[in-house]
Amino acid sequence: MSPEIQTVAALVVVALAAGWLVRRAFAPRKNPGCGGECGCPTGKLKR
Amino acid sequence: MALPAHISSGVSAAPSRTPVYALVGNPNCGKSTLFNALTGLKQKVGNYPGVTVEKKIGTAYSQHGQPITVIDLPGAYSLAARSPDEAVTRDVLLGRRADTPQPDRILCIVDATNLERNLYLVHQILDLGRPVILVLNMMDVAAAAGLDVRAGRLERELGIPVIPCEAVNGKGLIELKLAMSRADLPLSRHAWDIPAPIAPAVAELQASLTANDRKPPLIARAEALLLLTDQDSVRVAGSTPLSARTTEILQGWQKRWEGEGTDWAGTLVNSRYDVIGRIAAEAVTRAGHTGPTASDKIDAVATHPIWGWMILGAVMTLLFLSIFTLAEYPMGFIEDGIASLSDWVKKDSGLPDGDLRDLITDGAIAGVGGVIVFLPQILILFFFIGLLESTGYMARAAFIMDRLMSRVGLNGKSFIPLLSSYACAIPGIMATRTIEDQKDRLVTILVAPLMSCSARLPVYLLMIAALVPGDRVPVATKVGVMILMYALGTFGAFGFAWLFKRTLLKGAPPVMIMELPPYRLPGLKDVALHMLERAWIFLRRAGTVILGISIVLWFLAAYPKAPEGATPQQQLAQSFAGRAGHALEPAIAPLGFDWQIGIGLISSFAAREVFVSTMGVVFNAESKDDDTTPLRQALLATKWPDGRPLFTPLVCFTLMIFYVFAMQCVSTVAIVRRETNSWRWPLFQIAYQTGTAWILSFIVYQAGRALGF
Repeated sequence: MSPEIQTVAALVVVALAAGWLVRRAFAPRKNPGCGGECGCPTGKLKR
Repeated sequence: MALPAHISSGVSAAPSRTPVYALVGNPNCGKSTLFNALTGLKQKVGNYPGVTVEKKIGTAYSQHGQPITVIDLPGAYSLAARSPDEAVTRDVLLGRRADTPQPDRILCIVDATNLERNLYLVHQILDLGRPVILVLNMMDVAAAAGLDVRAGRLERELGIPVIPCEAVNGKGLIELKLAMSRADLPLSRHAWDIPAPIAPAVAELQASLTANDRKPPLIARAEALLLLTDQDSVRVAGSTPLSARTTEILQGWQKRWEGEGTDWAGTLVNSRYDVIGRIAAEAVTRAGHTGPTASDKIDAVATHPIWGWMILGAVMTLLFLSIFTLAEYPMGFIEDGIASLSDWVKKDSGLPDGDLRDLITDGAIAGVGGVIVFLPQILILFFFIGLLESTGYMARAAFIMDRLMSRVGLNGKSFIPLLSSYACAIPGIMATRTIEDQKDRLVTILVAPLMSCSARLPVYLLMIAALVPGDRVPVATKVGVMILMYALGTFGAFGFAWLFKRTLLKGAPPVMIMELPPYRLPGLKDVALHMLERAWIFLRRAGTVILGISIVLWFLAAYPKAPEGATPQQQLAQSFAGRAGHALEPAIAPLGFDWQIGIGLISSFAAREVFVSTMGVVFNAESKDDDTTPLRQALLATKWPDGRPLFTPLVCFTLMIFYVFAMQCVSTVAIVRRETNSWRWPLFQIAYQTGTAWILSFIVYQAGRALGF
C-alpha cells in the first residue's frame, strides 16, 4: 500500500471516529444515566 | 360505591395483554436478587439498602412459557414517599408514570426476619385492590435466627398467596412462578376497618378524587389514605396536583381535626400497626434463645469505635495490596501482548511505513492498550467491593464512617452514593435520590465526584509505576500512596461537605437512621457476575470511546505535518495537539507539568482514563523505535528540553493530586445537570473542583521543590 493511499485511508478512519464521537456526544438519549458505560442504573434493561 | 366486577367476585380477571407485575418491598429485602432470578437479568444487587434507585423492567416466563413483564421498583418502607426513589415506587403503583405500564399484579417481597416492619408497606399495597402475591424471602436466615414464620397462617390472615422463598439460592422460585402463572389470582379478603373518626374523610376524599381528579375508585381510596397519612399533600400528589375541590375537602377535614385536637395521621398509622402487630404475632413465633445473634457478636467488634476503624483500615490495605501484588503477572502478560501486537504490525504485517500503520500502532494500539493493561486491577477492585457488599460489611463501613460524616453535616444516607462513587460518580449521583432533604442531596451530589472512581485507577497506577519504578521500593510504599489518594479524595469530600453545609447549603444537622443487614456468606455468583460485568464495561469503553478518542488524538498529534527531516519531538510540538498543549502550558507550568502533560489534561476531560491513552499516543508518536516500549518505561525516559527528567517523583505525585480533585469527566457534568435540573451546579462543581486541584497541586509541587525533591 503506497504512503498516499495509507494517508487517505487513515484520514477516512479519523473522520469516521470523529463523526461517531460527535454524534454520540450530542445524540439525545432514550435512557437516563451514562448509557450503560459505567454500570450505572439505566431506565430500562434490555429484554 | 360500586366496585369493579372482578373485585366483587373476589378474583382478578386475567389480563388480556402480557401481565405486568410490580416487584416491591422494603429496602434490602432481596428485590433485585428475586428480579434477577425471575428474569435472568444481571441487575446489581448488594447487601445494603438503596441499591436500586430507578425502576427496571425485565421479562420472566410463566410455567406455561407465557411472557410476564416484571418491574423492579426501588425499595420503600411505605407509599408515603419521602425521597425521589420512593416516589418512583409510589407513582408506578398508582399508575402515575406515563412511561411505565400500570402493574396488573403486585409481587410484595418481605424480609421474613423482620416481618412486622415489612408488612406496613404490604398493608398499604393491599389498599390498591390489585392481586398481590406475598414472597417471604430469607426464610433460611429467619430459621437460623430462631424464627418460625408460618406462611399458611399469613395466607389465611391476608387472603393472598404467600410463597416462602430463598431468592439468593433459588428456593421457592418454582412455587412463585406457579402462583404468578395463575389466571385467577385471588384478591385480598383482608378487611381493615379505617378508624371511625377518619372514615368519613376517606370516603369523601375518595369520591372527590374519583369525580374531580379522574382516579379509579380503589386508587382514589389508596390516595385518600396517603393524603391523610402524610401532612404534606403536595408531596403526596407529586406530579399530579390535586383538584381545587379535593384540596378544599382535605383542608376542611384537617381544619376540623385540628380544632378537635385529633391526630388524624397518627391515628391512621397506629391503626395499621395494630392490625399488622396482630397478624405478625399470629404468624411468627420465636423459638429458642433470644440472645445476641452471630451478626450482633461480629458487630460488637466490626462497629467498635476503635476496632471498627482498624478493621476498615486493614480491609482497605488488603484490597490495595491485592491490586498491586496479584495483578502484577497478568498485567505483564497484557503489556507484552500489546507490545507484540504493535511490533507485528510494524514488522511482520506487510504494511509499509505510512500514516495508516502509524494510526494503528501509535494511535489505536498505544491508546487502547495503555488502558487495557489495567484490566486485572479493575477486576480485583470490583471483586473485593462485591465481596464486601455481598457479606453486608459495606453497611458496617457506612456505620463507622457516619460518625465522621455526621460531624461534617453529611446525611447518613449519603454514604451509599459516596460509596457507589468509588466505582463511578454517575451511579453515585443517581443514588442520591434516596436522600429526602434537598440540600443534603445537593451537597452529596457536589462532593460525590471527589471520591476516587475506577477511571482514576489507571492514572494512579501509571503514576505510581513512574513514581516508584521497579523493585526499588517495597510494595507497601505503593499501597501507601494509593491509600493516600483514596483518603485524600474521601476526606476532601468530607471537608467540602462541611464547608457547603455551613455556607451555600445551610441546613439542620442530619439524623442517621441506618439498618444494619445481617451478615451473609458472599453470593459468589453475584460477585463474579458483577466483576465480569465491570470488566465488560471497561473493555467496551476501551474498544469504543477510548479507541475513538485515541484515533482522533493520533490525528491531532500527527497533523499538520512538519517539514521533511523534523524529529518526532518537533512534529508533535507543532501538531494541533502540541499547539493546544503549548497554549495550556503557562497555566500548568507552575504545577511542574509541560505541554505534553497538558495534552493529556485537555483530552481527559472526556474521561479521566483517557489521560493514560493520551500519554500512550503522545509518547509513541515521539518514539520512532521499531520495538514498542511499555508506556511506564516511556514516561521514565521522557525529558525536558534541558535534559531533566519530566516525570520526576514530585511531578507524578502532583499529577495524582490534580486528578484526585479535578472534575475531569464530561459524563458526570451531564448527569449533575440532569439531576439538579440546572447548569448552575455543574458549572460551580467544575470551578470549585478544578480550582482546588490547581491550588493543591501548586502547593504540593512548589513545597516539594522548596524541600529539594
